[in-house]
Amino acid sequence: MRKLRALIVRLGGWRGRGRRERELSEELEAHFQMHVEDNLRRGMSAEQARRESALRFGSVDAAKEQVRSGWTVGFLEVTRQDVVYAARGLRRNPVFAVTAVLSVALGIGANVSIYTLADNLLIRPLPYHDPGRLVMVWETNHTRARNEFNVISPANYRDWKAQNNAFESMGAFGDGRGVLDDGRRVEEVRVQYMTSDILPMLGVPAYRGRFFTAAEDLPNTPDVVLISYKLWQSWFGGEEGVIGRSIKFAARPATVIGVMPPGFFFRNREIDVWTAMGLDPARDYRKNGGRGPSCVARLKPNVGFAQAQAQMTAIGQRLEAAYPAFNKNWNVKLEPLRDSMVRKVKTSMWVLLFAVGLLLAVACANVANLLLARHNSRRREMAVRCAIGAGRSRVVRQLLTESLLLAMSGGVLGILLASGAVRGLVALAPRDLVGGATIEIDLRILVFAVALSLLTGIVFGLAPTLAASRADLVTGLREDGRGSIRGNSGLRRLLVAAEVALSVALLAGAGLLFRSLVGLQSVDPGLDANGVLTFRVSLPRARYPEAPRRVEFYQRALEQIRALPGVRAASAIDYLPFRGMAAGTHIFIAGRPPAKPGEELVSTIRTVTPGYFQAMGIPLRSGRDFSAADNTVESPYRFVVNESFARQYLAGEQPLGAQISAKMQDANPFGEIIGVVGDVKEGAVDQLPSPTIYYVHAHMGSGQMVFVVRANGDPRLLAEPARHVIRGLDGAQPVAEVELMETVVRETFSRQRFSALLMVGFSLVSLLLAAVGIYGLLAYTVTERTREFGVRVALGAAPGRITALVLGMGARLVLGGTIAGLAGAMALSSLLKTMLFGVGAHDLATFALVPVVLAGVALLAAYLPARRASRLAPLDALRAE
Amino acid sequence: MFIWASNMGKKSDVWQGTLALMVLKTLETMGPMHGYGVARRIEQTSGDRLLLNYGTLYPALLKLEQEGYIASEWGVSENNRKAKFYMLTRAGQAQLKHEAREWEETADIIARFLAPEKESL
Repeated sequence: MRKLRALIVRLGGWRGRGRRERELSEELEAHFQMHVEDNLRRGMSAEQARRESALRFGSVDAAKEQVRSGWTVGFLEVTRQDVVYAARGLRRNPVFAVTAVLSVALGIGANVSIYTLADNLLIRPLPYHDPGRLVMVWETNHTRARNEFNVISPANYRDWKAQNNAFESMGAFGDGRGVLDDGRRVEEVRVQYMTSDILPMLGVPAYRGRFFTAAEDLPNTPDVVLISYKLWQSWFGGEEGVIGRSIKFAARPATVIGVMPPGFFFRNREIDVWTAMGLDPARDYRKNGGRGPSCVARLKPNVGFAQAQAQMTAIGQRLEAAYPAFNKNWNVKLEPLRDSMVRKVKTSMWVLLFAVGLLLAVACANVANLLLARHNSRRREMAVRCAIGAGRSRVVRQLLTESLLLAMSGGVLGILLASGAVRGLVALAPRDLVGGATIEIDLRILVFAVALSLLTGIVFGLAPTLAASRADLVTGLREDGRGSIRGNSGLRRLLVAAEVALSVALLAGAGLLFRSLVGLQSVDPGLDANGVLTFRVSLPRARYPEAPRRVEFYQRALEQIRALPGVRAASAIDYLPFRGMAAGTHIFIAGRPPAKPGEELVSTIRTVTPGYFQAMGIPLRSGRDFSAADNTVESPYRFVVNESFARQYLAGEQPLGAQISAKMQDANPFGEIIGVVGDVKEGAVDQLPSPTIYYVHAHMGSGQMVFVVRANGDPRLLAEPARHVIRGLDGAQPVAEVELMETVVRETFSRQRFSALLMVGFSLVSLLLAAVGIYGLLAYTVTERTREFGVRVALGAAPGRITALVLGMGARLVLGGTIAGLAGAMALSSLLKTMLFGVGAHDLATFALVPVVLAGVALLAAYLPARRASRLAPLDALRAE
Repeated sequence: MFIWASNMGKKSDVWQGTLALMVLKTLETMGPMHGYGVARRIEQTSGDRLLLNYGTLYPALLKLEQEGYIASEWGVSENNRKAKFYMLTRAGQAQLKHEAREWEETADIIARFLAPEKESL
């Protein structure tokens, strides 16, 4: 117990050292004097008195040393000394300190930023109970790559549920939009329809209220909804009375039965309302139904993923045999839930993580280089320290403390940088990557950052400490201790070459991604997105039950909008291109034999109002657009198709006048093609456009259309007037998703833009660090060989010769590194293949440009030392030490 | 490498322990004293059979103070000289009693071993 008290006192022992030191001296001096006085009193002479006192006391210094060491804990004391010494050293060499700390900060900062992003998206477990056992159940059609992870048929879903043994629960869900009306506010919100199994399956309890039951998950039962925490706060002020409240959803009365916890989401962060899917147990969804919802299931505790997949495949085959017309070539594909959420971004995230790791390596090499340079100039100091008794381990410990101090300072700065950078990253990142997620640095990531800093410190601290442990003390003490630098400079050259190599690799990657981006952006999308405003109006089925009323609504709305000032053209479409959503189905061409099951012709189906192509700037290749006369319910079916359709299905024939039909409704009469329009490279710019058939609105009677308005001037100015028009037609009808078409198209490249920008950023930073490294090494070498240059100049060398010499040294450094870097980049670039567009993984232009850029940077970095060398006055040089 | 430990280890632990005991006893008997006085008194009490290396006293005093058995205060000595005085604390008093008892017991047991002839088998 007492020992503990002593320890605690000693832990604080570094405070008040000065005072204690003084008191100790005074105390011992007093002791000595008192002893001398006693001796004098006994009759000794002054001299004898002093001698006897000194003898009896023993060594004053030893006593003081013993007391001093009792003041603190030995280990901590040594560390404290090291840290103070290291800090002092850094303060005396500000340029070195700043360069080193900044290098580390950049490396750590970049790593922490990207890691934060990756952690939130890829690594952190999903916020559900035992999320590793949740899988998505897709339908898959092996004959069509586009349908690898396809939405499912409710009929098939029912059969899977009945026949499987692998899952303890399975549910279906789909996303949609609906108008929420609480009496005061009317707004369109995003809704998720779910079967009753899903919320319990996720294992996240409701924050308030309850989930809906299987009984409530039937058609023709009163609607019940759960709302998100965010909605609860913003619409209902977080009041407890919201449970049981009656509201209107999709124009039907509904009751709020629960609130989900803050931050809860399932695959879509923008959902604010959850409600029952209401699959009709009596309905055969294979007749007149297609594939629409998605399916998620939880594996049984003792069933593995592969096992489950095998079982579902078998079930899929049974269903294919049982319902050939519907299921030919279709089977089941399982996918872990997490994978389904990050499928599109996994590659880019790993590439970015790798790149940022390379950047950290460059930063480490830079700091190691700087430390080695400093170590060289402290060679004598180290030798002296060893000579007066510091063990080699003590010296090594000192150096390591310096490295760690640098690393931790850099790390702290890096974390600060990262917290700002993360916010920037989130703002820049594609919406579907981060949409709505709170991505911020939390404790786990801080721990990671600190650990990374420590590791970095140890890594770059190794270089000088290894050099120190191999140091020859005798030569270190010699006057011209410089002579033995040779051993060190090999390591430094290697480090700089490594920096160059890594920078080259990063540059090459950045170059490839950048060219891909430029390529993507320069592809003609097939429409003119400039100056076009879009917004959606969804008419709830409850208030617009008949098709003619819906058709009339949109017709009237378009009439009025076209009459607004500043409107050049206006029309509507069911789904905007470039949103990745469209209907698709089997199509038939008159006069052809019926296709065998599994070999049917497929086409994308879009529903438009007349004037759409003009409003969107899609060129009309032949024939004509829909007219007002076509846009009536009674008119005969007529279609417009795109060039791909004509090319793929009507090659060699005249498309106009051909009779086609698509399996969209109960009755699908054949209709003639009246026009062919240009392809729109929607879905993905780098894929072939799919054959598309355009229906006229009246025949589909869709209640969810997106208005497309081309403006004479700024399209944003039309938003309010358009809203006014809609409200004028129906006061309870909100206008949703008001957006410029430009933005929609640009979002398509957002992922590529993000990756390219980041890579360019990293490679620039890396180049900067490499330039600093090259400059440092060359400057040092020039200083080293000052005498030699002096001799050369004295013997008649022109200044240009000296400059060339130094530049030559720089060139050799860079050459080695560049070759290594190019080789590495070529090997690794095939990993980027999935992210590239229009440029091969071994694109000649990029790989040729990169060394040129690097050479330019190296030249710049080498220029200053070269100039200095050429300017040396020979006499000073010869006298230099 | 614990510099502290390696230096302290030069003295045998037994004498280190007894030195502490002697300091405590001295302070109990004599009241507050300065370091020199304590040293002198210890020698006196031992009948001048113990010749202390006075330097070793001060680390021991520091240790006792850190452990809380003694407290220190600057004061004025008999010769009007500024000196640091040490005094026993209550904990020190308790520790003194405890250690004294232990020593007595140890001495007792050793004594038995050293007088075996009196024992019969």
